[in-house]
Amino acid sequence: MSYPSSKVLIIEDDRKMSDALVSGIRSAGYEVLAASTAEEGFFLVHSGQPDLLLLDLTLPHRNGLDVLRQIRKEGIDIRVLILTSHNTVDDRVEGLRSGADDYLGKPFSFPELLARMDALLRRFLPPTAPASLKVGDLSLDPKNRMAYRAGELLDLTPREFDLLLYLAENGGRTVSREMLAKDVWRETSRFTPIDNVIDVQIARLRRKIDDPFNVKLLQTVRGLGFSLREP
Amino acid sequence: MTLRPTNLRTRLTLWYVGVLALLLIVYATVVLAFQYGVLTRQLYHDEVQDVVTVEGLLFFDQAGELRLTQNYYSRPQSHLLVDRLMEVRDLSGKILYRSSTLHNMALGGPLREGEGDAGFDERLVRLSDGSHAFVVSHIHTMQGRTVVIRLGYDLGPLRDRMIQFFLMLLIAIPLALALAAVAGQSIAKRALRPLEQMTARAERITASNLGDRLDIANERDELGNMARVFNHLLERLEQAFRQLQRFTADASHELRTPLAAIRTISEVALAKPTNAEAYHEALGNVLEESNRLNQTVDSLLLLARAEITPPGESQPVFVIGDLVTEVVALLEVLGEERSVKITQRQHELATVEVRADRGLMRIALMNVIHNALKFSPRDSAINIGFAQPEASWLHISIEDEGPGIPSEEYAKVFDRFFTSSERSTANTSGVGLGLSIAKLVVERAGGRIGFDETFHQGARCVIRLPYNSTVL
Repeated sequence: MSYPSSKVLIIEDDRKMSDALVSGIRSAGYEVLAASTAEEGFFLVHSGQPDLLLLDLTLPHRNGLDVLRQIRKEGIDIRVLILTSHNTVDDRVEGLRSGADDYLGKPFSFPELLARMDALLRRFLPPTAPASLKVGDLSLDPKNRMAYRAGELLDLTPREFDLLLYLAENGGRTVSREMLAKDVWRETSRFTPIDNVIDVQIARLRRKIDDPFNVKLLQTVRGLGFSLREP
Repeated sequence: MTLRPTNLRTRLTLWYVGVLALLLIVYATVVLAFQYGVLTRQLYHDEVQDVVTVEGLLFFDQAGELRLTQNYYSRPQSHLLVDRLMEVRDLSGKILYRSSTLHNMALGGPLREGEGDAGFDERLVRLSDGSHAFVVSHIHTMQGRTVVIRLGYDLGPLRDRMIQFFLMLLIAIPLALALAAVAGQSIAKRALRPLEQMTARAERITASNLGDRLDIANERDELGNMARVFNHLLERLEQAFRQLQRFTADASHELRTPLAAIRTISEVALAKPTNAEAYHEALGNVLEESNRLNQTVDSLLLLARAEITPPGESQPVFVIGDLVTEVVALLEVLGEERSVKITQRQHELATVEVRADRGLMRIALMNVIHNALKFSPRDSAINIGFAQPEASWLHISIEDEGPGIPSEEYAKVFDRFFTSSERSTANTSGVGLGLSIAKLVVERAGGRIGFDETFHQGARCVIRLPYNSTVL
């Protein structure tokens, strides 16, 4: 569900991190520009006209927040997602106040980064609220909170339905435990008990939607998280 | 610019000398005034006696002239009277006698109304040569004639004596003050010497000899007390420092373990070309290990956050029972998987409000209940109860039916990175910081947490929290 027409600029001084981001985002279907200093990035903001900027805050010579403020001062139309290891509430507030659209603390999970990038670019497109979501022979009716597999109504708890809906909405892409903790459980931080709860809840959901059927839809991606898709 | 001595010893001495100077000046003034008063009284008495003596010596001769008996000077005790000033007038004011010492000057002006009528009137008189005299007047009748006797003494000698006395004080006081300053300086130096020693000692204490303590010369004096308090401070510092050292060592160990795994997995995978599936497997493992690293770092940050939370009193209140219900609802699913039933006993105490950082307290409760769940066998129960054994103290107990805690580990389970020798079973996961976080959070809220050593059907964790009974 990426937006291939979108251009993403990455300003990140750590070369390995930058390389990994470039190749990951490029393979997700975006056009990617990369800069390792604030000056270079600033030049690319003007010359490349990207739609989305991934901004690291600790840059050599110049603070990432300065770059952000300058961009906002000039009124350039660009979404900005801050990527940083400064991850306290105050840092987030300062980043968002300075004009960022979103904030992701390092280390983050790559699926979450992609999901947030999508969300930022989608936010400005007309909303498409589908009447139903389909993955293989599984269909969800978000309005009435019903789920069917092969035409059969599944008996799900509210939490299980939320989880399934979230997985379905991510359209086959992997979602990490961080994303689940934040978006389904609404937990502000992630810690051991929550991870266990997520694993157990996934196992229970799998028993209900997959175990009676031959085709398994709910996949575990080692080290990354889970995805709902046809194998 | 004001000149202020920064040295405590000099300041003490200055204060001391200043106060002493003030006292001496007040003292000298009082003494001078008193002395003057006493001498004046003495003069008055002498004069009264003189008048009485003179009355016996005065006589009118045949010519009606007033005279003084001539053998007067032969009396040895009367030589003092040589310098007395005397004048006798009759009631019309006419001068009948004037002593030669007056050199024809008047001793006071014309007669006053009723002068000397009622005894011995005293007054101060200025003579025409500028000197002053202290005069008494007395009315006297002899040989049928009434006269007024005025007798006085020149005040010059008295004043000279007073000035002498004053000059003596003027020299003696600064001398005394100078001596006092020297003495004060040396006394202050002696008194402050232990302080200097302590300063020198304290200056030598650094992180490497934090075990050193200050010497206490006298336990009961102020400096001894200060040294004692300072030693307590050092004690606490040392403890905190050791704890930090241990913690840093533990933390680096805990961080190094997943790092080592990541390194080894990657090295093995890259050692020789292999198939995609093996790479996939290796990368999955690397990600899992890095997740573990991340969790450890998150937990450490959480601990740091809990350490700097303001104490419970400055926090908003919330209903503790609601929080417990919320946590149980979240973790229930873990119990259901293994048929562990979590029951929260209904109690009116569940509605009391406590003061704490709610978010942190939630994590604390979650860690404790999660811990109980981890060690619960299949088909068992976890009971959460409320009690109030002491006024204003709420006890929340979490009982599981697991293996319990070995007696030697009761004190250690809350240590950071502690994993039990017996309890580290297959189903334990996490980084060994859960209970430490819980302990820190509960203590920051002014409470206590511990396992009940008298409970043997499993483990029983008791969280004691203060609550304000007036909010009930």
